[in-house]
Amino acid sequence: MSQYFHHNPVRVVSSSLFGTASDALYARFKKIKRKDVECQAFFRSILKSSLLHALLISTITSNAFFMVLGTDYNIRYKLFRLFEISEILFVSIYACEFFMKVYVEPIKYWRDGYNLLDVVIILIILIPYTLRKIKGRHYRYLHIADGIQSLRILKLISYSRGIRTLITAVGQTVYTVASVLTLLFILMYIFAILGFCLFGIPEKGDLNNWGNLAAAFFTLFSLATVDGWTNLQEQLDNRKFTVSRAFTIIFILLASFIFLNMFVGVMIMHTEDSIKKFQRELMVERHVTLMEERQMILKRQQEEVNRLMNAQKSGGRSFSELVEEFKKTLRHTDPMVLDDFGTSLPFITVYLSTLDNQDTTVNKSCSSLQASGTVL
Amino acid sequence: MAQEQGHMHLPRADAIRSRLVDTFSLIEHLQGLSQAVPRHTLREILDPSRQKKLMSGDQHQLVRFSIKPRHMGHITHSQRMLSSLRVRCSQRPPLSLWAGWVLESSIFSKFIISLIFLNTIVLMVEIELMESTNTKLWPLKLTLESVLPEFVVLMGVSGESVWLQLLRISRVLRSLKLFARFRQIKVIILALVRALKSMTFLLMLLLIFFYIFAVTGVYFFEDYSRSTIEDLEYSMFFSDLLNSLVTVFILFTLDHWYAVLQDVWKVPEASRVFSSIYVVLWLLLGSIIFRNIIVAMMVTNFQNIRNELNEEMTHLEVQYKADIFKRQIIQRRHNLSPEAGRETSHRKASQDLLEPSKGSELSDAEKSDAETSDAETSDAEGSDAKRSDAEESGAERSGAERSGAEKRDADTSDADINDADINDAEQAKAGEGQKKSSKSKDYSSSSSTSSSSSYSSFLVDFDYDGKLDWETLVHENLPGLMDIDQDDRVVWPRDSLFRYFELLEKLQYNLEERKKLQEFAVQALMSFEDK
Repeated sequence: MSQYFHHNPVRVVSSSLFGTASDALYARFKKIKRKDVECQAFFRSILKSSLLHALLISTITSNAFFMVLGTDYNIRYKLFRLFEISEILFVSIYACEFFMKVYVEPIKYWRDGYNLLDVVIILIILIPYTLRKIKGRHYRYLHIADGIQSLRILKLISYSRGIRTLITAVGQTVYTVASVLTLLFILMYIFAILGFCLFGIPEKGDLNNWGNLAAAFFTLFSLATVDGWTNLQEQLDNRKFTVSRAFTIIFILLASFIFLNMFVGVMIMHTEDSIKKFQRELMVERHVTLMEERQMILKRQQEEVNRLMNAQKSGGRSFSELVEEFKKTLRHTDPMVLDDFGTSLPFITVYLSTLDNQDTTVNKSCSSLQASGTVL
Repeated sequence: MAQEQGHMHLPRADAIRSRLVDTFSLIEHLQGLSQAVPRHTLREILDPSRQKKLMSGDQHQLVRFSIKPRHMGHITHSQRMLSSLRVRCSQRPPLSLWAGWVLESSIFSKFIISLIFLNTIVLMVEIELMESTNTKLWPLKLTLESVLPEFVVLMGVSGESVWLQLLRISRVLRSLKLFARFRQIKVIILALVRALKSMTFLLMLLLIFFYIFAVTGVYFFEDYSRSTIEDLEYSMFFSDLLNSLVTVFILFTLDHWYAVLQDVWKVPEASRVFSSIYVVLWLLLGSIIFRNIIVAMMVTNFQNIRNELNEEMTHLEVQYKADIFKRQIIQRRHNLSPEAGRETSHRKASQDLLEPSKGSELSDAEKSDAETSDAETSDAEGSDAKRSDAEESGAERSGAERSGAEKRDADTSDADINDADINDAEQAKAGEGQKKSSKSKDYSSSSSTSSSSSYSSFLVDFDYDGKLDWETLVHENLPGLMDIDQDDRVVWPRDSLFRYFELLEKLQYNLEERKKLQEFAVQALMSFEDK
């Protein structure tokens, strides 16, 4: 039972609208029964086996290593055949894994976030191939498509439980992060328009940094991360803009001091909450598992006793008859030292006191009812 | 024994029966596997004096192993090894035990501290002496500090080999161990190590992202690295993987990122869109989000560490409260028992019993077999007298109670339970619960109502005395009571224990039946009143 607990993967499930729609679809598809149950079970056992996991981890690692080697042009030139063959091998292994998983669980596959990541990576793998086919070999953005292949290493994180729990914990904060970023963007937008009008439009203005909206955004981002802002300020000073200092300082205070540190505060709050919740869930699950194991032991014991009772030679006697003989062997002078709570004095006292209190309550209510009955 | 109630299934009763089966190893007995019940406990084997007594008697006895989970502090390696059977039964103890003892001893640690001091002084003298040969590289103030200059030394001195320098540094870093001795610093170092340990996965994730952006950077900025335009300041930044890694780290620290970006824009072949997406994405993800996640994790870890240090304190508090609760319970029994004991003639025997049992209690703090026999024989007589004129379930249970638990433990303030009132309570319940009548029942119920009324009056007084009502008091303190660290062991006579379990199980069924009857009564009353 504990084994079941340990191998239960932490699933990334999307919520809200997408979730409810997929739930409805899933409910409908669940009714369809599959006929190839044995083959499915076989593939399922393959997918769970540690051999496949080891194979995949080594594939991804060697893929990453080959990508590192491929950044150097000389090595790529000398070993191009090796690179071609290894590329074919890796892509085929990824595709096999994808098809096996979809075959085993066609509907449930799409609910797990890490499987969606696998699908995205397979699509990314297909991009350079399709680009080469469509646009020819000298498309200027081909090297960008090659660069994105480094994302394949993200497949590794689904094999590490620690990183998965970390992502689950941190992933709770993603909404807050997105909202803070949106607020920052809005602030930057306001100041960008302001800066453009103040410093970008006039002829003597600093067209380099504030000339168009994109440049203004970059300048403001540079101010927010306080990197090289004195140079930017100097250029504005050289053009004798009087209000520029106030503008820059106010923006730096708002964006860098307040917003970016608000980030820290919000993340601390949420990380704490999610870690606490995670730990609480862990404790509850542990408790539930413990209770289940106890129940199982209890049930097993009962079955044993029942079996003994119903055994042929005892002839279906009840429990009390079975132990009559045993009871006779017990002597009063034999001591038995116990230290569990159920036979300890405090427990007996507390239990009996509680029962006595119950009795008094019942007696009192009875007497009061009788009294009211006679009155009526 | 409780009849098999086919229509009722109570998990509590099942649990009690399971406890009975477990305590007496009934399964093995009924299968004919073993005939004996363990007579001795672990305590007797571990205590040398009792072990001697045991060994001198019959050596073919069974020992009962009962392991109660206790709240222990830090368990050292030597403690673990000493508990292992292999170590205890081997002829010679393993060497690591002795090594651990040596390390823990105070003389040895003091010796090591003095050695480290001496080492540091000798190192400083060495540096001073060497200064005369390489004057320009050894400013005087370096000799005053012992840690930082060694790194400067590594950079400065080129004449000697690097390994010698590293050796020197390792010797100096030993002096850092000095700081580990002081408690405050130890706590901080412990906190730092734990924070780092919990952040391993975060750092792993960060490394993965470093890799992704480094490799992607090489491919994205190929045109920029290979461009032939003059006066590009940062052209080497993305030229190969190692440089790209360093550049990614530079961008992570937000240093001159805009300058790098503007430099890239100078090259017309490099696409502006993708390069700005790359840089802005990495800034947002890496230096803004990741750095704040690291801060958040550190804060959470420090809070956890502080909570754990407080946990010890709260545990002690809970124990203390549970102890007080236990004493309160005992006090209640004390106060109730003398008054209730005077009521009827039944309890004359118990009155006599109270004094001698109390005396034997207080005089003997240890468990002893011989002394129980006096009190117990008189108990047995009293219980036999009881058994004849009371109902089966209630009275036998009370008899078991009275002759049963005499507590032997470190806490000598306890006395045995006066179960006269238990007897009353039992009979009252039994009387309500079971509808079948017998002449003994009439007799016992009359006595029980008189005694229960007096008893209940005492209880009522007690309820209004306490600040909290009984329910909340029990609810608050029961978990603490269950986890209490003290080793309370109760000596039960064997047949009384068996009877106790039987009666407890039957009580559950009775209570269930009574509950049902009460519901019926309430319904009847409601319908009666409606009419």
